[in-house]
Amino acid sequence: MRIMKYIIASFIITSVASAHEMVPTYPKISGSYVEGLQKTTMTMFNKRMDVEYYEIGVFTEEWKPIPFVSQYKVWKIPYLSTVSFDIFIRDQDAKKVTYICSQSKLKKENTKRTAVSSRICSRVKKVGEE
Amino acid sequence: MFSRKMIGLGAIAAMSISSTMVFANDTPINGTVQSRCVIQTDTAGTYANPNAYTLTTSPTDGGELAVIRFDVSLADAYYAQITAPSSFSSSPNLPDVVTWTGDTVVQTVSDSTGMSAYESSKVEIGMMDRYDLTATGSTWFKTSSVAAMGGNKAFAGGDYTAIVVAECIAQ
Repeated sequence: MRIMKYIIASFIITSVASAHEMVPTYPKISGSYVEGLQKTTMTMFNKRMDVEYYEIGVFTEEWKPIPFVSQYKVWKIPYLSTVSFDIFIRDQDAKKVTYICSQSKLKKENTKRTAVSSRICSRVKKVGEE
Repeated sequence: MFSRKMIGLGAIAAMSISSTMVFANDTPINGTVQSRCVIQTDTAGTYANPNAYTLTTSPTDGGELAVIRFDVSLADAYYAQITAPSSFSSSPNLPDVVTWTGDTVVQTVSDSTGMSAYESSKVEIGMMDRYDLTATGSTWFKTSSVAAMGGNKAFAGGDYTAIVVAECIAQ
């Protein structure tokens, strides 16, 4: 019985942890149905109870922002939900894209103490990279 | 009598063959495992106020360190970057300049052999600590933060919030 209590307690403790994830790690940018634009698809999963909104960003290797189009720039992803979204990038910018990132957006009323902002960046591999 | 027994045995054999044929269907279970990084906020952290002009997450002063867990399913695929706060995201009016110090260290690892060098080989740039996640599994990082008000002036009463940024960047 005592062992069972520990198992239940450890489950409760671990289930409190909140997580943010985004896949694929190495997305591929390919042609889209819109002329002059290329496209990639990302999927995000929100297991952070304290966060509902995630901002998307596209960057060069030097972390300079690249213009892109998506249905939303800031996605509302309810707790324990998954969202897949397309990112469209101009042909002339597609070769410069290195990082596609999602960052949690914290609401002011939710941050009564030290808060953690999580950011996950996928990397678009260049030709010749493994 | 013999022929009846033969017929019975034949029927049993036929049934067993037919049942074997029914259950011989292949039912594949397909799945794809994608390499991924998951950032888990285990503890958000709390500031304590051991004296009028200091806010600290040090447990000895009554604070709580921020604990962040990184789970990776592919070795050598990600960097973990953790940046301790260098400003308040929300606070009452500040009477003077605040001096910030902060640090991140590895708290626990799931693979003590493969991850033993994480702390010694990290790169520190200002408040940011960068770790090369060279092994699969989980790593817990703890981040401390201290804010000291200039001129030993007192922090005004109210809520103070600072943000630790945890990043997982594909290599």
